[in-house]
Amino acid sequence: MTPSPASTVEPAIEVKKICKSFGFRRAVSNLSFEVQRGEFLTIFGANGAGKTTLLNILSGRTRPSSGMAMVAGYDVTQANPKMRKEIGVISHATCLYPDLTPLENLEFYAKMYGLDQPADCAEKAVDGAGLKKRRHDPVRTFSRGMLQRLTIARATLHQPSILFLDEPFTGLDPLASGALKDYLRTLHTDQRTLLMTTHDISCGLEMGSQIAVQIDGRFAMMEPNNGIDPVAFESRYLNLITGGK
Amino acid sequence: MQGYFNQIFAIVWKDFLTERKTRELFSSMFVFAVLVIIIFIFSVDLSITRANEVGPGVMWVAIFFSGAIGLNRSFMLEKENGCMQGLLLTPADRTAIYFGKLISNLGFLTLMEAFILPVFMVFFNIDILPHLFPLLLVIFLGTLGFCAIGTLLASLAANLKTRDIMLPILLYPLMVPIAIASVRMTGEILAGEPLSEMLNWMGLVVCFDFIFIGAAVMTIDHILEE
Repeated sequence: MTPSPASTVEPAIEVKKICKSFGFRRAVSNLSFEVQRGEFLTIFGANGAGKTTLLNILSGRTRPSSGMAMVAGYDVTQANPKMRKEIGVISHATCLYPDLTPLENLEFYAKMYGLDQPADCAEKAVDGAGLKKRRHDPVRTFSRGMLQRLTIARATLHQPSILFLDEPFTGLDPLASGALKDYLRTLHTDQRTLLMTTHDISCGLEMGSQIAVQIDGRFAMMEPNNGIDPVAFESRYLNLITGGK
Repeated sequence: MQGYFNQIFAIVWKDFLTERKTRELFSSMFVFAVLVIIIFIFSVDLSITRANEVGPGVMWVAIFFSGAIGLNRSFMLEKENGCMQGLLLTPADRTAIYFGKLISNLGFLTLMEAFILPVFMVFFNIDILPHLFPLLLVIFLGTLGFCAIGTLLASLAANLKTRDIMLPILLYPLMVPIAIASVRMTGEILAGEPLSEMLNWMGLVVCFDFIFIGAAVMTIDHILEE
């Protein structure tokens, strides 16, 4: 994977005082942080803390109410196609057409990303996701774990330098969860920047090189993961989200 | 530019592939259009009324009503599993997404019309074959206008809870100029008038086709934005 020229000199993600309000409710509040290239930032937070909104802003799907965010050197508010080539998003939705096969789905996305030899790209990605035997079956017949593998294959089809993952372990059995962890590790060692939101403390600590806790739209903590003890972190995390009550 | 057209045709390919597998869109549109024609056949006494006068209206009602079903369904497909989100995350220009969906909708509706015309011919006992070329031209221009504004409004209505109701409410009032012109031209063609006699109506439809496509190109970015 070749990193973008901008990302070699600038942080992969740079957020300055961004806010996002829905009516009177503030989902993201005056948030500032940076993620360097090749880092893996895990964001913990209770439901409604604004994690998904933050990911939506960074991936250019939601416009911030104020503030500035740069991803791979591009302003997220400019709806820049070059930025969209640099990012991959794995959200709650699979973004896969249920009546099409994995090959057809990925070939379609390869064409939309303008990749050379879309059919070959799709074939390789389906093999890489371990779905070779099911490549001609409609996606609607797939289990949650298979869908998640295919979703990751879709999101990484164009070799993005930055990957956003919104609670990717939700609904996975331990086997599928382990396979996903291995795959994310491979992506991380490949010098990609990953930003993941999760509720799973052990998983998040195991994967992340940076750890953040988001509460009421802002980061209550953000620090490097130098072997943080999961038990100590859990009590600290609970303390943060309950406000010490 | 090549990439832009590739993206448009990727969307068309995907829509036709899905339709080939499910056959949901075409069958529902066709059945609905046939039902409309049959209902009108039983409600109009063709021994008193001339079929040439009633027929064009019935044909366009069948096309527009069944077309609305197709438009709604076409964007429902994108909402399932958040596919629209996936589409918007690709580097594709928003207008490429619009034109892709427009061509798909136009293709499905044209295909449906190809099946509905013989049905119309048989039930109304009208011989359209001597007027086939001008009739096809008028049908194409009317359908293009319907799909141009319909695709835009369907993308807007897809985000609403009341999308099934909202699309016809938004669409049909805007379709009035095209509907009137198309019905009048079809009637005149079936009465044996040459196309040169209806250039004003033709100009009106072509103008609205351009206006609707232009409006879509200018607004689609904002409509597709979350």
